[in-house]
Amino acid sequence: MRLPLLGLLLGLLSFVSALSASGSKLLVVIEDEADKGKYSQFWTDLENRGFQLTYRSPKDASLSLFLHGEPAYSHLLLLPVRAKGLGPALTPNLLVDFVNGGSNVLLALSGEQSVPSAINSLLLELDINLPADRTSLVVDHFNFDSKSAAEKHDVILLPSPEFKKGVKNYFSVDGLIAFPRAVGQVLGNASPLLSSVVKAPSTAYVYNPKEEGESVEDPFATGSQINIVSAFQARNSARFTVLGSAEALEDKWFSASVQLPVPGSKAEKSSNKAFAQKLSAWTFMELGVLKVGQIQHYLNEGSQKGISNTSEVASIDVNPEIYRIKNDVHYSIELSEWEIDHWAPFSPPQGDSLQLEFSMLSPFHRLNLQPKAQTANSTIYTSEFKLPDQHGIFNFFVEYRRPFFTNVEEKRTVTVRHFAHDEWPRSYVISGAWPWISGIWVTVGGWIVFVALWLYSKPAEPKVKTR
Amino acid sequence: MAVDTAVPGADFFFKGESGRNTRGLLRLLILVTIAAAAIAARLFSVIRFESIIHEFDPWFNFRATKYLVNHGFYKFWDWFDDRTWHPLGRVTGGTLYPGLMVTSGVIYHLLRFLTLPVDIRNICVLLAPAFSGLTAWASYLLTSEMSDSPSAGLLAAVFMGITPGYISRSVAGSYDNEAIAIFLLVFTFFLWIKAVKQGSIMWGALCALFYGYMVSAWGGYVFITNLLPLHAFVLICMGRFSARLYVAFTTWYALGTLASMQIPFVGFLPIRNSDHMSALGVFGLMQLVGFAEYIRHQLPSKQFQTLLRAMVLVVFGLAFGGLVLLTVSGVVAPWSGRFYSLWDTGYAKIHIPIIASVSEHQPTAWPAFFFDLNMLIWLFPAGVYMCFRNLKDEQVFIVIYAVLASYFAGVMVRLMLTLTPIVCVAAAMALSQILDQFLVASQPSEPTESTKANGNANGNADIKDKLAAAIPESLRSTKAPLVGIYSYLSKSVITGAVTAYLLLFVLHCTWVTSNAYSSPSVVLASRLPDGSQHIIDDYREAYYWLRQNTKEDAKVMSWWDYGYQIGGMADRPTLVDNNTWNNTHIATVGKAMSSREEVSYPIMRQHEVDYVLVVFGGLLGYSGDDINKFLWMVRIAEGIWPDEVKERDFFTARGEYRVDDEATPTMRNSLMYKMSYYNYNSLFPAGQATDRVRGSKLPAQGPELSTLEEAFTSENWIIRIYKVKDLDNLGRSHQEAVGFEKGNKRKKAGKRRGPRTLRVD
Repeated sequence: MRLPLLGLLLGLLSFVSALSASGSKLLVVIEDEADKGKYSQFWTDLENRGFQLTYRSPKDASLSLFLHGEPAYSHLLLLPVRAKGLGPALTPNLLVDFVNGGSNVLLALSGEQSVPSAINSLLLELDINLPADRTSLVVDHFNFDSKSAAEKHDVILLPSPEFKKGVKNYFSVDGLIAFPRAVGQVLGNASPLLSSVVKAPSTAYVYNPKEEGESVEDPFATGSQINIVSAFQARNSARFTVLGSAEALEDKWFSASVQLPVPGSKAEKSSNKAFAQKLSAWTFMELGVLKVGQIQHYLNEGSQKGISNTSEVASIDVNPEIYRIKNDVHYSIELSEWEIDHWAPFSPPQGDSLQLEFSMLSPFHRLNLQPKAQTANSTIYTSEFKLPDQHGIFNFFVEYRRPFFTNVEEKRTVTVRHFAHDEWPRSYVISGAWPWISGIWVTVGGWIVFVALWLYSKPAEPKVKTR
Repeated sequence: MAVDTAVPGADFFFKGESGRNTRGLLRLLILVTIAAAAIAARLFSVIRFESIIHEFDPWFNFRATKYLVNHGFYKFWDWFDDRTWHPLGRVTGGTLYPGLMVTSGVIYHLLRFLTLPVDIRNICVLLAPAFSGLTAWASYLLTSEMSDSPSAGLLAAVFMGITPGYISRSVAGSYDNEAIAIFLLVFTFFLWIKAVKQGSIMWGALCALFYGYMVSAWGGYVFITNLLPLHAFVLICMGRFSARLYVAFTTWYALGTLASMQIPFVGFLPIRNSDHMSALGVFGLMQLVGFAEYIRHQLPSKQFQTLLRAMVLVVFGLAFGGLVLLTVSGVVAPWSGRFYSLWDTGYAKIHIPIIASVSEHQPTAWPAFFFDLNMLIWLFPAGVYMCFRNLKDEQVFIVIYAVLASYFAGVMVRLMLTLTPIVCVAAAMALSQILDQFLVASQPSEPTESTKANGNANGNADIKDKLAAAIPESLRSTKAPLVGIYSYLSKSVITGAVTAYLLLFVLHCTWVTSNAYSSPSVVLASRLPDGSQHIIDDYREAYYWLRQNTKEDAKVMSWWDYGYQIGGMADRPTLVDNNTWNNTHIATVGKAMSSREEVSYPIMRQHEVDYVLVVFGGLLGYSGDDINKFLWMVRIAEGIWPDEVKERDFFTARGEYRVDDEATPTMRNSLMYKMSYYNYNSLFPAGQATDRVRGSKLPAQGPELSTLEEAFTSENWIIRIYKVKDLDNLGRSHQEAVGFEKGNKRKKAGKRRGPRTLRVD
């Protein structure tokens, strides 16, 4: 959790120039200097958004992702290369280290060039599978662009991506997005860190144009199992986005006119530019970055009851290390979300909520946090509850892992102790103890009376000696 | 004691009023010397090593004492310790015997008050020797109550002072509950005898007071709780019920029980736990018998007496039945496991492996008796026999104590400690009898009619009377036997022999103390070839590494033996420690240690473990390491998860416990095995790695770890510390991540056979 936070701090420091929440240095790995011009609109857009672009060829000897063991760039854009490998500076291990160091990667693939094996094995680590033959394309006979690919059906037109309820959509655009000659990815089922951004339509399939056959016997993947854009967010919140079609970023597709092969459809301008902007904005941490502000927890009983609404909070013992069982406590957490250029109050998407766990080995409480107040750039979520009747070392644990949001994992450890010897109710307060208490006093009184009687009653002179 | 009466003028010092003063002074001097000797004998460890707390439990006591001194008594009373038993914590203030810590705290504050600022550590280190001096004095008092001989008490004091059986638990640095508890045990017995002899409420109340102190100091107080009622019960059965006994017992029971209930850890046990029921039962019986005696005094009718006796028996039977009923119904807690294991030595191994796993809970080996008690062990029966010759109430106590303590000492090594005082007392009585007979310079006087009439005027005459009474008068020579030692030769031979034995005893005690009981076990000592001492300080090296290189709240998982030391020396939270109050938690650690990494890792994550510590003696040949304790971990884990951990899997097909090539896969995949032998191969030429404890050659291919990484290994590899890795950043399993780092290619999922697994979003 520390690295992204550090990143956030750095992001704040470089606020004037950069708009990303985690730094502005962007490395673009592009094989051919001549190809640079193809993407000029994209570069201008990025530069306008405050990124400092560095272009390097994978063969460049001075190319290094790291400086003094730390990632030298905050972001990396990998464009397709023709070479079989990516060179010694971009081995899968280095790229994994780069991501582990908290940097973001946007990987663009292209169906025109075969995918380097380094990329292939890197993606396998992320549980993303690419077609084995490396040159396969996604083909759809129903959603292709009838203007540019009337014959080959390999330019797919898709509407703005939709997500299920409770997932925030950062990628919505108006109109159709064109994905020419896209490499389809298949996501593994196990990893919760993966999420698909753009899925192929159900009529799509993976086809290798080099196999001259008329029909495909056993396609690598079909339908919506194919992902054209997929996103991976590591546990340290570093983002890795795979864009199946690098061509979609090219100038010519930014302003192309596309048309679906459906009768009655009209030619319209592609939304590639808007989509590229959103995709890069999300990947390079301009969107969906959450920040935790102040976390407070304190006693909510006795003289401190209901203090949270007043200004006296500053004067009490905030975030104590120890509580007692059955204490009433107040917990609040401040959350902000980065929106392109500023911190805004965070609110979870519809149908989702932020939860607080109070746990020792397993949760004793799992409560929905309620938004209580809002500042200019944060929302304060609070919860008030009674601690369980169990002593031990507990955590106030807020874990919020959702697709497209950076991970929030905030643990505050507190000790919950037992009742001290003088915290129990006194015996005279408990009505059940009254018989025993009166018993004690009757015995004491009786004994005193007996002693008094004994002392002051002279025994009678024995008249007859008992045997 | 014999004195030379030939010196003229000496009479003044040895006879009459001033003679008594001289003897008193001498006795005082001797006692002080004995106390000094007792303390001095226990200082070996401080001189050899340093002023350091020993072993395991003392480290907790030391830590608790520091807490008491720093935070005051009430904070200590309500102490919730969040640095042990993570994440459960321990209600420490309510689950310890505070007597030891409070004693040191009082001494500490007293010395401060006297403007003598002494470090609390030194007080803790030297508390046990100081109290051993008091124990010697207490056993002098106890023996003096038993025997008329003036030398018996002094002999008992000197025996108690230097016998290894007691020194084993009271050397300097052995800051354990037993350090003060043995003194309290002996002193409480002395006060009890005094109370029974005099029938005095004052002595009974004092006895209860010290019993209360004893309860606050050691769990072994149950021994007193059962021994005193047993003594009273036996006396009643022998028809020796008297007002004295009644007063002594009721006073002790009423006040003592109240006192013991003030300790939070004991609480309501005295009325709810079976271990305490005998005292309650005898208390009730005492009332009945007292009432019956009263009636008997009033009404002499013989029939009524028998009726009463029957009534007593019936009531006793009813009470016993009621107790059984209450126990079965659960109102009175059943006997504790430790109690059962006192009667059936195999019980613990089957039902409570956690108790059986402690070495000091093992049955005693026979040489231990001689090792710890030397010649006292054969004088002891003689002393007990002496008690039978002159069987008064207090001698009955000695006999009962001797029988019980002998049995318990045979069952558990640890209970040798309770046997030692009675052995010292009995042996002193036997030896003083010998010395009193043989160390008298003057000839025994011929028996005269007057002495015969007086009976007890002369010890010899007394014996002769008894002998005359005992031996049938059929033989002429036995009609009037002459008993007494006339020959100087036999006197000097016997005296010489006894002196030689005593000197040998001193020699033995010193040797045992110096060689066996003065090692702190935190620091190990070995001899170099040239005879010089070499200190192996791996434990402290590792604990200080933890202290200086890890976060303040880094949780350390280790087997429970090291919990107290990690808490005391490294000051880091631990999962389990020597308190062993939660068997499941210990079994969890046992399971983590004895399972495969994939099973252990989630357990360690769940318990927020940061570091794992293992003790490995393979390089040095240090046999007390974790691999040798490993089977206990397996057994304890098996007790809770019989389906997941199986002891059988750790043995080869032929039933051998091996670590070499033939070790079972379960063994070789267990976390403990991997942590112990990780990288061990690198110390040796290829294929030459040997384990010097098990004496076996290790597999050429060492174990590999993926969820842990080595953080620290001490100089002699005794302590190895591993850091638990965080979850993989890319969501892979650790095995996959390690494989990727090593450059292994991952198999493509697409090439797998069988139906395709579809992703569901």
